[in-house]
Amino acid sequence: MSNKVLIGGIGNVLLGDDAVGPYVIRLLESEYIFPDNVEVVDLGTPALDLTHRMAGLHAVILVDCVASVDRSSGTVLLYRKDDILRVPPAQRLDPHAPALSECLMSAEMLGAGPEHVLLVGVVGESLEPGCRMTTAVETAAERAIQAILAELARLDVPYETRRSTLPPAIWWTADAVGVRES
Amino acid sequence: MAKRITIDPITRIEGHLRIDVEVDNNSVSNAWASCTMWRGIEKILRGRDPRDAWMFTQRFCGVCTTVHAMASVRSVEDALNLEIPLNAQYIRNLILIAHALHDHIVHFYQLSALDWVDVLQIPKADPAAASKLAESLSPWTRNSRNELKAAQDRVKAVAASGQLGIFANGYWGHPAMRLSPEVNLLAFSHYIQALEYQRKALQVVGILGSKTPHIQNLTVGGVANAIDLDSPAALGMDKLEMISGLLAEVAQFVQQVYFVDVCAVAAMYPDWFKIGSGVRNYLAVPDLPLDSKGSGYDLPGGYIRNGELGAVKGFQTAADEVLRKSVTEDVMHAYYQGEKALHPWQGETEPAFTGWDGDQKYSWVKAPRFNNEPMQVGPLAQVLIGYAQGHALTRKYTDQAIDKIAAIGGVRPTPAMLHSTLGRHAARAIRACMLAELAQKHWQLLVNNIAKGDYTVHNQPVLPSHEVEGVGTHEAPRGTLSHWIVIKDEKIKNYQAVVPSTWNASPRDRAGAHGPYEASLLHTPLARPEEPLEVLRTVHSFDPCMACACHAFDPSGRKITVAKIL
Repeated sequence: MSNKVLIGGIGNVLLGDDAVGPYVIRLLESEYIFPDNVEVVDLGTPALDLTHRMAGLHAVILVDCVASVDRSSGTVLLYRKDDILRVPPAQRLDPHAPALSECLMSAEMLGAGPEHVLLVGVVGESLEPGCRMTTAVETAAERAIQAILAELARLDVPYETRRSTLPPAIWWTADAVGVRES
Repeated sequence: MAKRITIDPITRIEGHLRIDVEVDNNSVSNAWASCTMWRGIEKILRGRDPRDAWMFTQRFCGVCTTVHAMASVRSVEDALNLEIPLNAQYIRNLILIAHALHDHIVHFYQLSALDWVDVLQIPKADPAAASKLAESLSPWTRNSRNELKAAQDRVKAVAASGQLGIFANGYWGHPAMRLSPEVNLLAFSHYIQALEYQRKALQVVGILGSKTPHIQNLTVGGVANAIDLDSPAALGMDKLEMISGLLAEVAQFVQQVYFVDVCAVAAMYPDWFKIGSGVRNYLAVPDLPLDSKGSGYDLPGGYIRNGELGAVKGFQTAADEVLRKSVTEDVMHAYYQGEKALHPWQGETEPAFTGWDGDQKYSWVKAPRFNNEPMQVGPLAQVLIGYAQGHALTRKYTDQAIDKIAAIGGVRPTPAMLHSTLGRHAARAIRACMLAELAQKHWQLLVNNIAKGDYTVHNQPVLPSHEVEGVGTHEAPRGTLSHWIVIKDEKIKNYQAVVPSTWNASPRDRAGAHGPYEASLLHTPLARPEEPLEVLRTVHSFDPCMACACHAFDPSGRKITVAKIL
């Protein structure tokens, strides 16, 4: 049985609060050290490739901007596998239509669904083009990180705080990128 | 009495393409293609350093990340008249090929095969008979009875659960479905296997680009890969051997499975060679440059008007003078301000949302035109343009496809029959075979060049103080992609991306000419208008990808109100 864990940030860094997934990933990378069986990755908006990213893993922790009609922006909501599988698949008009639920369903159908799935959702406010998040969502990032660390603890996955933190590689909010993404 | 059908998946999570058709006597009498989301991302680039642009453009779309990165660096290099070292060209070419192979496999199996394959017929199949049939079609070694039985069991398990899950929204049992249970099973088994090979193709992108989905190794003037044959950290022989092995496996899947499956579907649905033609003007750009100047290419480009293959015109370079001068974008029926059709260097992206009105404005997609005419782009355009010019590799696999389809089904398609829904699928499979062969060639070119002692990967760009313009093109999996940049005072003054799905999903222009999706749907027969499977078949054949935009999970299944923000 695989012991591999994926921590993935989903979202488009050019669309306001949708950047929160990649943003949280950059903070995690700068503040913590994870063991080799844990992959921490900014997935962007991965569509169908999420299926084989998840297939066969022990646990998947994703962080993404979510929509909510009744919760205020910046609220952190947690979803498990069953919550995600409950969302019915859409007509696949284009490759973006198959979202998280379809990818998870595909992995399950193949018998390769991850044993543990957690989606850390941050309720977004503005998805307009632009490289800045709203304050409510930006400050929610720390709560999202705590939710991710709590899940790692629940899974008995060790991690360490970096003694000297690296500057987070949040290049998209800089006027000039200068230092390249590593 | 005509009735209107709207296919608009934004009612759930993340759809961006909406199709409206009017149906009269079970035939499509009018059609509208629209994009339901704003594509104003280009404005973010203004005022930035042009050398950084590719990192932002790579985020336009989560599906086609690399292609926007590549077109962007090429646009700056064109503006600066900068040559690219040979190693960098080959490394870029290998990334582009691997990404395209991944994309073509995903498109056929994940996004369109289930338009032709009826999953609910699979439990009725005889795996032994399916295996025997498969062995008569292909030398592929993974068509054994046991492998097919395992695939069948997966479908049975899903069916037995009472919830179709991933298959919940197919038009199963539709009268337009015609494959035997055995062929349905074979295709489904390959749908499962395809996941492995699309992952292998992406591994190549990851090794060369250092990460997926967002590659890190590009830079204006070349690539940032350190080449050192003996260092495990750099691009050395062990990584190159790994790439070669992965590409060989993907090539085998493409040539022995994907290509054969497309030919089999084509042979069993021959009427679809007569449906879905639409716009017969085609545009493709040359790609896979073979030298540092970009004066020779392995993929041909040019244009065809009115389906006249004999009158094909070729492009000499990827930024051909004719291409530079001939592209405009019209916003008569798009939600933007402005009156005149504008050249992309003068292009504007000022929104003017008015709500869907089929007679007025109805889409966020602009209407790009080439000499004022709509153009179809994509693998079909490239294959027809190559075939018409006598391009040897295009002819080789096109002729193989024609022979294979004739051998399976008895109907021998002519190149002219490729102007169709099936033609688009066939052309994509033909192109995938070409790319699979070219992958090995460009790998060898890279290895030979390194063996000569050339480790150069980068030429330093120098930004002039005066204003310069550039266009970077790439013949992407969905067709001709062009990024248009204006640089002034070392900053980006204007930036416009004219993407393949903008050409194909274009709305009408001021002359009233339909875009390619729209035109291709006219006269399509529908067996059951309330289940418009035939519309999906044709739209899917273009490989639509509208997004370049936003993704958000809505666990309630309710509509995300992105459009309302605007």
